[in-house]
Amino acid sequence: MAMVDASTVLRTEEPRRGRTWLRHVELAVPVTLLVLVLGGCFLWPVIGAVPAPVGGNVLDSNLPMFSPGHLLGTDPNGNDVWSRILYGGRNSLIVGVSVNLLGLLVGGTLGAVSAFLGGLTDTIIMRVLDVLIAFPSLVLVLAVAQSLGPSQLNTIFALAFFSVPAFARIARAATLSLRERPFMAAAALCGTKTRRMLFRHIAPNIAPQLITFSMLGMGVTIVIEGALSFLGLGIPAPAPSWGNMISEGQQSLSATPMLVVWPCVALFLTVLAFNLLGETLRSRWSDR
Amino acid sequence: MSVDEVTEPALTGHDGGVGSVPLLEVTDLRVRFSTRGRRVQAVNGLSYRLEAGRMLAIIGESGSGKSVSSRALMGLLPGTARISGSARFQGQELLGLSEREMRRHRGADIAMVFQDPSRSLNPTMRIGTQITEAVRAHAGLTRKAAYDRAVELLHLVRLPAAERRFHEYPHQLSGGMRQRVMIAIALAANPKLLIADEATTALDVTTQAQIMELLLELQQRLDTAIIMISHDLGLAASYAHDVIVMYAGRAVEYASAKRLFGHVRMPYTQALLGAIPRLDRPPHADLPVTPGQPPDLTDLPPGCPFAPRCFRAGQECREQEPPFTEHEAGHWWSCWHPCEDTVGAVQAVDTVEAGTGGRHRRTGVAPHGATEGPRA
Amino acid sequence: MTASVTQPAGETLLSARNLVQEFTARGRGGVKGGVVHAVSDVSFDIRTGETLGVVGETGSGKSTLARSVLQSPRPKSGEVHFQGTDLMRLKRGRLTEARRQLQMVFQDPFASLNPRWRVTEIVEEPLVGYRVPNRAGRVRELLDLVGLNPDTFGRRRPHELSGGQCQRVAIARAIALDPALIVCDEAVSSLDVLIQAQVLNLFERLRRDLGLSYLFISHDLALVKQVSDRVAVMHLGQLCEIGPAESLYRAPLHPYTVALLASIPQLDPGATRRPITIHGEPPSPISPPSGCRFRTRCPRAQERCASEAPVMAELAQGHSVACHFPEHAPVPAAAAGVRGQA
Repeated sequence: MAMVDASTVLRTEEPRRGRTWLRHVELAVPVTLLVLVLGGCFLWPVIGAVPAPVGGNVLDSNLPMFSPGHLLGTDPNGNDVWSRILYGGRNSLIVGVSVNLLGLLVGGTLGAVSAFLGGLTDTIIMRVLDVLIAFPSLVLVLAVAQSLGPSQLNTIFALAFFSVPAFARIARAATLSLRERPFMAAAALCGTKTRRMLFRHIAPNIAPQLITFSMLGMGVTIVIEGALSFLGLGIPAPAPSWGNMISEGQQSLSATPMLVVWPCVALFLTVLAFNLLGETLRSRWSDR
Repeated sequence: MSVDEVTEPALTGHDGGVGSVPLLEVTDLRVRFSTRGRRVQAVNGLSYRLEAGRMLAIIGESGSGKSVSSRALMGLLPGTARISGSARFQGQELLGLSEREMRRHRGADIAMVFQDPSRSLNPTMRIGTQITEAVRAHAGLTRKAAYDRAVELLHLVRLPAAERRFHEYPHQLSGGMRQRVMIAIALAANPKLLIADEATTALDVTTQAQIMELLLELQQRLDTAIIMISHDLGLAASYAHDVIVMYAGRAVEYASAKRLFGHVRMPYTQALLGAIPRLDRPPHADLPVTPGQPPDLTDLPPGCPFAPRCFRAGQECREQEPPFTEHEAGHWWSCWHPCEDTVGAVQAVDTVEAGTGGRHRRTGVAPHGATEGPRA
Repeated sequence: MTASVTQPAGETLLSARNLVQEFTARGRGGVKGGVVHAVSDVSFDIRTGETLGVVGETGSGKSTLARSVLQSPRPKSGEVHFQGTDLMRLKRGRLTEARRQLQMVFQDPFASLNPRWRVTEIVEEPLVGYRVPNRAGRVRELLDLVGLNPDTFGRRRPHELSGGQCQRVAIARAIALDPALIVCDEAVSSLDVLIQAQVLNLFERLRRDLGLSYLFISHDLALVKQVSDRVAVMHLGQLCEIGPAESLYRAPLHPYTVALLASIPQLDPGATRRPITIHGEPPSPISPPSGCRFRTRCPRAQERCASEAPVMAELAQGHSVACHFPEHAPVPAAAAGVRGQA
């Protein structure tokens, strides 16, 4: 029941598409894609019968597509490719979600608190984060992963470590501009305590930006995880991840290209879905 | 200097001789937007005439359609706008022109000054460059000639230290000075019509007075017609020849300023006059209040749009929209139950005793006890 | 019909003395940063039941003054005695307690409400902050007081309300704790004229019913005169003139007040327009003119105005002005001459 007047209309820069079905489509497509990906990776192996992703018989190696019991064939170790895609997706997605969740919670809180308290606290925190951002991240991620050793948990920590500063920067900028708004001054006059200010005033208002950023970051994280695994530093073999599947597959690229293509397709679709969703959310939330 | 030097209102067409074509003639202008699946009828039938050298004030609150109607004339509305009706500038139809054709009119024939000078000026360009750019857009002048013209314009708008200011950036100027620069840019190609869209709203009252005096002076020197869009009836009374009052996209009253403020007919205009803060009111007086909210432009009720809030509304007001016609000579309105002539808008308000020389005297005026409307 | 309220009897509710507030101006695109003298040595009183209007143009410091009174942020120096306590000396917890009956309504109705909260949550916030029991009932009562139906509007968010409705919600929040003084910082300036009248009437009704005092800040002189008992005029951080509304408007003493009044557009097309007495551009708040800050635009300025800053002096009953050559006082032909006094 928003009051629509002509001045609101004039302020719109791009002509808004009047047709509502388009707005539904731009939300439905990424959501559907994500549901398919997530459902496939997490639910299908539980519901449907999927062969184990590891411990395959060498005798079954390199079976072609549409072989009985192996929809996409097998890899050189005899493991079912389809199953490895699904289980590998699980691992990749867990990494992606955990990293961004950690980044959002830790980085977001750090940035918001830093901006809200201001003064010396703000300066110290931001300088530390500045140092982190200044380092070339991929090199350092590699170094950290190398020293910690390859495992899923270590991968998550290494990547989260470097996503925190980015989230903190965004949260800080958003909080700084929010702090100047009259409703914050009004809240202070209402006797609202600092904790309530942060949780009920600041957090709901910076959440959209942080969530959008994490959506877009999801894609990046999964790709970097893939790169790590590609370099042998991410999720250790024989556990599958899209990254290490690409890594192993590239050794026999000319002979069995599909071993690389399938995980790439899966990666592509997932990153695309997250990016589209992030973009749609961003444009929806910035309308208000 | 009094406003009514030309006593005959332009509306009767007596100015300029028989058979003269008015500078601008707008007939039944309608603008519709489609936004998020809803239709906004921003302008719903606007008609007026403007002669050369006169000032027309279009007064309305937000959502009245006053800005949209002028932007329609200039071709500045987004592509999703559906415009109908007619707007003839010196006999030539403006609506429906291509962008290229419109660009020829803009600046050379019609120019616009906007509300917020800090947003209309490019902050990264020196103001001199912005003026010469406007000058050269319409006449192929050499750099030296353009510079001379630009300085001439800055002098015209009475910008102090014009030669020095030529090389400065907008942020180095005050709000009033920036607005003068905007006016200089608008006048670069000698337009015959200047549209001032809330041009003084963002300025302080002292600066506003200076800018309005400047506009009047320019009007007299250059014989430019001015359309002044504002929400401030006081500005219209003080400076305009003719006044249109708009509500919910429609013109509801149209007359010369003298006529309108002396004989208000439309209850909405009367409500506006009653609600404006006045110096002669005793402190803590209750204001005559109009209840309700401005209408939702996507969902206009049938009949007169002001009916839900009008204290004179009758049954027919809610069913049928009153026509906008010239009920009295030189005075158009759109109302089934207009106010009687005895209810004058300005009853000894702010009438400074002419010629007393007292610059600030408001004494001696008996505070009028009559209120212009019921209390809500 | 209300008879105009003459001098309301009442003790001093708020007393501000020698308030000074300064900001460092951030350098922007080539302009060097400096110190903005936003409020310079301003003193005034507000009595119980009285409305003090503060009028001034952009850069006059009136909004900064409002914030300074509320200590958000705390002014650089001065005293603010509210209900007997000097707010300038109190730290956080004690300040919150002492400030309970001091509230504010802001200019932008939408921006003064949290866009993600609902109306009931917004109005409830001061009750939560000060731990008042029976919040739900009180919220309904408050919404009724400001003319909003709690059932219709309670669950709405700010973007579902109009400007006038948002401002009513802000007012409901401001009166939740039974304040004694409400600071209205351009509270009706962004509203349409008809809605403005509605909200002003609401302010009046609350003033009568709840015995409120107001510090009413606006750039609109006629508006301020309509709502105030006394009016203060500010220019570039300095207080020029302060006095009863009627006498200030009828017989202004400071040339700036005269110029402001002359600039108001009149509602009578037949009337002769008053000549503009003010010339030139407003000076910069970063490097204001020495002595009297209005002297660069003042038609009565003399040499003395540059060398000596004028002091507030009471020239008529309750009517003070800070000017060496106020209106109705002869301007000496020779410079630095006798100070013209009534």
